[in-house]
This record gives sequence, C-alpha cells and structure tokens, in this order.
Amino acid sequence: MLELRGIVKRFPGVLANDGIDFELLPGEIHTLLGENGAGKSTLMKIVYGLYRPDAGEILVDGTRVDIHRPTDAIELGIGMVHQHFMLVDTLTVAENVAMGLRSSRRPLTDLDVVAERIVELGERFGLPVDPHAVIWQLSVGQRQRVEILKALYRDARLLILDEPTAVLTPQEADQLFDTLRTMTEDGRGIIFISHKLREVLALSDRITVLRHGKVVGEVDDPTAVTREDLARMMVGRDVKLAPDKAPARPGPARLRVRGLRVHGDRGTEAVSGIDLEVRGGEIVGIAGVSGNGQRELAEAIAGLRRPVAGEILVGEVDVAGSSPAEIHAAGVRYISEARMREGAIPGFTVAENLLLVDHGDPRFRRGVLFDDRAIEEHGRRLVAEYRVKTPGLDTPVEHLSGGNIQKLIVARELSARPDVLIAAQPTRGVDIGAAEYIHARLVEERDRGTAVLVISEDLDEILALADRIAVIYEGRIVDVVDRAEADREVLGLMMAGGHPGSGGETAAAAGGAAR
Amino acid sequence: MSDLLDQAIVVTAIAGGIRLAVPLLLAGLGETFGQRSGVLNLGVDGIMLLGAFAGYYTVLQIGNVWLGLAVGLVVGAVLGLATAFISVTLGAEQGISGIGVYLFGLGLSDLLFQKLVGTPRPIDSFPRVPIPGLSSIPVVGEMFFRHSLVVYLAFLLVPASIFVINRTTFGMNIRAVGENPEAADSVGVSVARVRYATVLIGGVLAGMAGAALAIDLGIFQQNLTNAQGFIAVALVYFGAWRPLGVMGGALLYGLVNSVVLQLKTLGIIPRSWSDIAAMAPAVITILALVLVARRFRQPAALAKPFLREA
Amino acid sequence: MRRTTSMRWLVFTAVVALVAAACGGGDEGGGGTEGGGETFRIAVVAPSASNDLAFTQSIVDAVNRIADERGNIEVAITDGTFVVEDAAAAIRDYANQGYDLVIAHGSQYGGSLQEIAPEFPDTSFAWGTAADTFGLDNVFAYEAASNEGGYVMGAMAAMLSESGVVGIIGPIEVGDAKLYVDGFAAGVKATDPEATVNINYTGSFSDVGLAAEAAEAQIAAGADVLTGTAQMVVGAVGVAKDKGVLWFGTQSNQTSLAPEIVVASQVYHWEVILSEILDAIGRGEKGGTSYEIDLANGGIVIEYNEQFELPDDVKQKAEETIAGIVDGSISTE
Repeated sequence: MLELRGIVKRFPGVLANDGIDFELLPGEIHTLLGENGAGKSTLMKIVYGLYRPDAGEILVDGTRVDIHRPTDAIELGIGMVHQHFMLVDTLTVAENVAMGLRSSRRPLTDLDVVAERIVELGERFGLPVDPHAVIWQLSVGQRQRVEILKALYRDARLLILDEPTAVLTPQEADQLFDTLRTMTEDGRGIIFISHKLREVLALSDRITVLRHGKVVGEVDDPTAVTREDLARMMVGRDVKLAPDKAPARPGPARLRVRGLRVHGDRGTEAVSGIDLEVRGGEIVGIAGVSGNGQRELAEAIAGLRRPVAGEILVGEVDVAGSSPAEIHAAGVRYISEARMREGAIPGFTVAENLLLVDHGDPRFRRGVLFDDRAIEEHGRRLVAEYRVKTPGLDTPVEHLSGGNIQKLIVARELSARPDVLIAAQPTRGVDIGAAEYIHARLVEERDRGTAVLVISEDLDEILALADRIAVIYEGRIVDVVDRAEADREVLGLMMAGGHPGSGGETAAAAGGAAR
Repeated sequence: MSDLLDQAIVVTAIAGGIRLAVPLLLAGLGETFGQRSGVLNLGVDGIMLLGAFAGYYTVLQIGNVWLGLAVGLVVGAVLGLATAFISVTLGAEQGISGIGVYLFGLGLSDLLFQKLVGTPRPIDSFPRVPIPGLSSIPVVGEMFFRHSLVVYLAFLLVPASIFVINRTTFGMNIRAVGENPEAADSVGVSVARVRYATVLIGGVLAGMAGAALAIDLGIFQQNLTNAQGFIAVALVYFGAWRPLGVMGGALLYGLVNSVVLQLKTLGIIPRSWSDIAAMAPAVITILALVLVARRFRQPAALAKPFLREA
Repeated sequence: MRRTTSMRWLVFTAVVALVAAACGGGDEGGGGTEGGGETFRIAVVAPSASNDLAFTQSIVDAVNRIADERGNIEVAITDGTFVVEDAAAAIRDYANQGYDLVIAHGSQYGGSLQEIAPEFPDTSFAWGTAADTFGLDNVFAYEAASNEGGYVMGAMAAMLSESGVVGIIGPIEVGDAKLYVDGFAAGVKATDPEATVNINYTGSFSDVGLAAEAAEAQIAAGADVLTGTAQMVVGAVGVAKDKGVLWFGTQSNQTSLAPEIVVASQVYHWEVILSEILDAIGRGEKGGTSYEIDLANGGIVIEYNEQFELPDDVKQKAEETIAGIVDGSISTE
C-alpha cells in the first residue's frame, strides 16, 4: 500500500536519507530499526508531509503522490503517532481529536458527536479513554491512545508509530501491541519505529534496518534472527546488550531510607512509607510502572522535594529535607529523568552544563569570577573521557543528540566521585551505543564502591544492571529480590501490585491507567 | 461630613471607574485573542494612538461619532495586519517589534495631529443612552445603565469573547495554536491563519479602544492614551488570559483610579499623600498580578514564532 | 535563519526610519526672517506638544512672537520630549550645532542642563520654570509668578460660584503647577472665606482620561467652577463643558476649547523676559541671571473670554485685584 523509492533528504551538513527504498503491505507490521540519527524519523516525516524529499518518489496504492503537508497525508489515509506527542495539553481528548476536522456544526464545535465516536473506536480497538479528560491529566500511555485515536478517527489505513514504546511500561506496551494487531487484522498497515530489540522481534512481520541514512539490512522472517543480530546490523559492530558484571561485593549500607512519605505534584501522597537500603558496591534497581512514586522518591533523596515524614540517611547523616547543595555535599549525586528540564540547560554550552552543579567549586573560580581556563580544561577532559560527541565545548547542548546529552550529564555527576548515585531512567530515549556505554560506567561506578540506585521503567535495563531489585507499586515497595532469583514474569506481576504467591491479579490490570 | 457619602459621589466614582475601564477592556480583550494564540503584541498602545487620532479626526471633519469609531476600527485592522505580518510571517522577536509598532504609532499620530489639526479642538462625544427601565433604578441605574453605547458594547464583548474562545472551532484552534502550534499544524490547522486572525482582532479592538477614548474625551492630544495600551497588555496577564479576568482587571484598575481621585478631591486622602496615592492603581494591579497570575500558566507558545522546518 | 535575520533588520530599519520621520516632523523651523547682520539662532526643547494650549505652547508662542518682533532670528523647536533623556540629547544637539540660545523648557531638564552647559561655554542656555542657575555663568533661569494670575482668577471664581465649592485639578504638586494651584485657592479663600476649595492632583501631566474623571469627581463633590493646570486638563475642560460648569484656564488661552464656559485664562508672555535675556546676551552676558514674569512686568496677562458675559462686579474685582498685586497691597499668600 506504500512504496518509497530512492528517497534522499539532506540537511545542512547531514545526509539524513540516502536513497532509501521501503515498502509496506496491507495487514503488515513493518519495523524501521536504527540508532538515533539513522534517518528513521526523517523518512517518516517525509511520508507524513512534514519534510519534502530532495529526491525519490512516494507511491500510495501504486500511484505516485506528492505529499506537501500533513493534511495531504491524512487525506491519503496516512496517520502518524509522533515520538513527542502532538497533543495540546490544555485541551480535552475530544478537542484534540476534533482539531483540524470540519465540524458538523460549524462555526461551533461538535464535541459531543466526536466524543461518542471516540468511545466507539476505543471499544473496537482496545483504546479506552475518557473523551472529556484534559490531556495533562492523562498518563503517558493514555496520551498515546489519544494519538492513535486521532489517526483512527481520520480513517487512517496506514499508521506510523515513532518510538511508541519509549515512554511505555511493559504492560502498556503489551496493550499497544494488542491494539496494533487488531488494526492489522482490519487490513491496515503499520510502520513501527523502534530500537527496543525485544519488542521489535516480538511484534514485527518484517524489519528494515537503517544506519547513517541507508538501508543496511532487511529481515523478512524475524523469528530467524536474534537481538544480537539486529544490534550488530544497527550499530555496525558487535554490541553487548548487557554489561559484563562480576558479582557484587557489597560493603556497608551507604543510603538508608526509613518510613519515607512524600507528596506528589497535586498534593496527594505519592510515596507512602518506603524502607530501602543501598550498600556501597551494589546496584539496587527500582522496577515499576510509571507514576507509582519513583520520581517523587528520587527527588526526595536528591533534595528536590521535601518529604512529609521519614529519614534519608547518607552514612549516618539524616538529609531528609536538606537542600540539594547540602545533599551534594553529603556525597549524593542525581541523574534526573527529566534530562532537558532538570539535568541540563538546553541553551547553555557543553562546558557550562558540565559545570552546572559545581559552579561554586573554588577550582573553577578566581575571586568572584570564573576561571575560564580551568573550566575549559575540565570540560575537555570530561568530553573526552565520557566520549561525548559534540562539535565543541561551546556548542549549546540543545544541538546534541539525546544520548550525548545523557553522557554529558553522567560525566558531570560521576566526575564528582559520589558515595551515593541515583540514576533515574538513565537510558530512556538513548541509542544503543550510548546506553551500552552508560551501563558500563554505572557498573564501573559500583565496582568503585559507590551505592547506586537505578530507577527504570524498562525491565530489561533493571535486569541487566541491578544486583537487587525492589519493585515499587503505589508508593510502596512490594518486595526486594536478588537478581539471581528474579524472574521476569514474577516481577511483572509485582509491578501490577500482585504479591508473589498470591498470584491472582494479572499484570495488565494496572496498565498504568490511573495515576 | 455626611455629604461625603453622598450618593452622587459614589455614583460618580463607580460610573467613572467603568468609563476608565472601557479602553483597557477593549484593548485587553483584543490582546487576549492574540496571546491565547501565542502572539504577544506590545504595540497595542501605538495602535490605540493611531485609532484615537483617526477617530478624532474623522469626527472633527465629518461630525459623526460612529463613523469616527468605525474609522478607528479600520485603522486598527490595518495595523493589526501589519503586526501580524511582522510577528507571524517574518517571525520577528515579538517584544522588540511590538515596541517598534508602539513608537511608530506614537510618532505618526502626533505628526498627523500637528500637521492636520494643530491646536486641540473639541469634538462631539458619544451620546449617553440610558437603558429604558434599568436606568431608572435608583443609584444602580445611574451607575451602570446611563452610559454610551460603546460602554455597553465593550462589556457585551466579554461574553461574546468567552463564547468564541470556548465554543467555536475557531476558538479551539486559537487555544491549540497558543499551546502547541506543532500539534495544530500536524492536523492541518494553519497556525499562520489563526494567528493572523487573532492579531487582526487585537488590532481592530485596539483601534476601537483608542477611537472610543478620544471620542469619549472629545479631544486629542499627543500621547493621548498615556500608555494605557501597555496596561491593557498587563491586564491580560492579570486576567490569566481569560476575558472575564481581563474585565475584572480593567474594572479594578478603573475603579481604584476613580475612587482614589474621589478621595483626593474630598480631601480624605491628604494632599501630601497625593503622589503616592497616584501609584495605587499600578501597585494594586501589580500585587494582583503576582497573586492571581501565579496560579495560572501562560499559553505555552506565547511570544514564540512558529516557522515550520524545511 | 540568515534570511529571517536580514528581514528582521529590514523591518527594524523601516520602523526606525518611519519613527524618525515622524519625530522629525516635530522640528519646525519657525521664524527665520532674513535681515541685516548675523542671524540669532534660538532652539527650544519642550516636553509636550507645541500646541498643547498649555505649558509648551506658552514658550513656543513667545519665541515666535519675539522672532517676529525683532526679526533676524531663527527658531528651532523640538517638542514632545517627555522622556528626559530625549530632551538631553536634543539640547546637546542644538548646542553642538552652534545655536546662540538653547531653551530647556521644563524643570525636569535641570539635571541634564547642569551637565551639558559647562561643555558649551559659548552657548547660552535658559531653563524654566526655575530660579536656579546652578551658579553657571551661561545659564539663565526663568519662572512665572503663576500664583498671581491664579489668585486673580480665584477671586473671580469665588464670586461666580453659586454652590460655594470650587474645584482645582493639578498634575503633580511641584513647580509652576503648585504655585498656580496655591494662588488660585488663596484667591478663592480671600474673597469668600466660607467657600470650599477641593484640590486634586491626578499624579500625571499627560493622562487626559484621568483629568476628565478628576473633573467628574470635582463636580460630584459639588463644584460649579473649575480650573486646572498642565496639558492633561483638556480632558477636564471637555467634562466641564458637558456639565455646564465654569472653567478658568492657565498657561495659554483655553477659550477655543469651550467658548461657552471658559471665563478667563492666565496667559504667559515669556517674550517679556526673553527680550531681557536677548538684551543681556547682546551685552555679552551668557547667563547667570534668573528672571520672573508677573502681572507687574506684563509677562502674565489675564485674558478674558469675550464671548462669556462676565458680570461687571466680577470684572471690576479682577481689575482691582490685579492692581493690588501690582502695587503690592495684596499678597497672594
């Protein structure tokens, strides 16, 4: 139903798509696989009319078409779920769906009609959502449903999903896959963009691998390849999907959390009495579905959120309620999940961002002024040591890729040689190469004797890194298990609130639906 | 002392506050449309000044106050389109270009006044139109229902604006474009068209506000608006981008001004405090701004030009 | 991006050019009558419009009158410089261009003048309304005894008021405005000790709308005779006209604004002291003296509105009061 022939797209200094051929059949899930910057998103933006190709042609149902703008694509039955949701946070679900469509009651809106149809479509495709809810009230998973509903509402026969699971929990991803299969049974075609190998293998009918803007491989039978095969095609070399790790040799406890209670943004309790211990030389992983108190827990430890009750002992000092600076001084460092909001300042340069936390350090000062030379040296050293790919130290970090920004943040926090390290979603949205590197550094940090707390919604990541795994659900720790005894299935159950042994509740029940 | 609380004084203070609020309300409502769609127009005062001169000059020459208001409105529309061209099509820095429009309006309105009129000459004002029935209610009728049609019109525009913003597809597009223009663009809503429309509405209402001010005062003078256009912009923040809030802000500002004047006239505020009291409206507005506006978020795309990539 | 930037510059330049053109329009070459000998060049920098029927117009009219009278004088005017920095720039500019006398018409310009004048020892400066020459020998100061005209008109107002309430609208309680307001109030009280004088300063020289509301407030408080000073009072005159209450003008003749209700205006004839200043310069003095216009030297004149039927006794009272002030038998305090 869709055919791309020799698509070329140039950006200043970059050849994003270099003669790409691609084909999608009705009823098929065809995955585009590649690292960040391989050209997947660019290619799909061309199909959706957001970019114009410099060469090549697009055929829909065998006819050559010109797609100048998204409305052209929509008219051709092409829908797209963007990686960054194209939703207006302050509008309702129905308004977001109705936007851009002709109202039956012009010039007034016909939101009741739209809402009715949303409910209908939701039932048919397993995408339940309240049409009158305002977007900002919804979880990430629910927002994605709205995006898909937007496309279905416009009768999309071909749906492009750009990294749809990057923001989803395993349960939400499973639900999404069910929905996608329902859609292909209908004869719709789906282009799936991802770099999560496990789900690509599980979901795809066909896989096309891109690297540096070129097609470097096609897999017609996904059952015949392994994750390692795909990773090799993507990166162009052998990749370790899990870091080499010697058994942990934990020392004394460095971080002890006792009876911690923390409120969330809306004033309700998000962390409801957590006890947790992280010893020097071990990695403790916090697994859980998004929105179960992970962010509040991390922010409380980092001093960004004042706990309501409880103790946070770093060594023997209770830092609960202390300022971030005091907590830094106590030897705690924090890699925030909000990379572009809390982790880095997008408009600041690489050198400036590397200095953010330590700008008061006498090493970088000469009287009241900054010591430019010391700062530059510091920046140059870290950029080299942590392999941050940047045109220069004076490049604003907003021009770097997600993986490189994250490497920069990791560099900054690890260079302080902390006693306790909190890493929240350390590789979310980061390419395999960078993730591999960050994982290795975290393990190295553990081996140096640091107490490392990794918070991730990606169970694969937890399983790859952690020595002990704590599962969080509704602000409480369900259980803590040793990595050696951990079982993916059992962890999934606990993430939905079920206790091992009780066995009754199913993982899907939680679904990340209600926050 | 009993006559200090004379009805006439209270009525004058309230009615005066309402009158002072009208230009701010009109201009503020217009600015609300622009800002809800993500365009910050700081040139409101310049547009008001040119609207004021155009309205004044029309009445001076032709003698018809409604024609004067209409000409002010048309001049506002032209300047609105110019503003839209600068901030939407060219994607200019909106703060700077707005100041440019202000200076342009300030200079040109004065130049035209010097060349075409010279010495201030009085013109007719809008006739007062008592609303039958309501205007004969004691006190209340006097305060609220014996104004000119422009005053009623300005206040009727409040529910009209609320309706347009919340119940029409146009209003929905305005809100979408002001929050997330990429999202609106991705489903085929023309960000440029919506913003042109809102900035045009802003220009029309600013031009009207200026003309209403000049014709109501029956006079024109250099810098007649005395920065009311900037206060109108502040009131949009004060009103948390909601027409009702803008109305509340305009009324508060007008009433504080007229009440302070009244208190000074009666000697209740001693003359030595006079200059400090003159700052009261600004201070109260800023305080309210700090207290009220903190609870609301501004349109996420405010003052950010939208230019689609490649 | 580069294209956008250059467009921005284009727009910016265009706006600047337009604004410059607009402002430039304010600079009017006035007199410039050709005669024998060297032309004497006078520049005026003033805060509001040349035809504001108030403060700025008073000096502009005076300079033009003296230019007509004496001939061979070139006049340049920059008005509307309510921003002091703009005025300072204009003053410096004129001094640079070699004007013989630069008049900074606004007490707010004093600070700037104090800095600029020493840099141009060959140029004479005059500023008002003020009495201070900063001890500089190239600065003249001038002021108006606006309390005198105010006192005369206050006396008339007391007699004309039927309600016994007189309202005065001022801008900010300083300088010329304060003198006038206090003189007017004293005139009312001296004539009718029972009368109520309500004074309200709006806090602004330029807010016409506020001046209009101030007039409304005065009328609501019972006033049937009003006066006011500074350029924003045009708004108040409009209200007075609508409500049919009487008005006394100052700084310029305001009859044209509302012939039905303007009784009289105190008019400044700065040419009286300008003439003295020019004479002093002719003698080789560059400054150092301060001058005042008043009823006695003819710099302050009460101009009656011919179209207003002024009762004889009121007119007589006015003339008596003027005579009394001139001969010193009446104090305006």
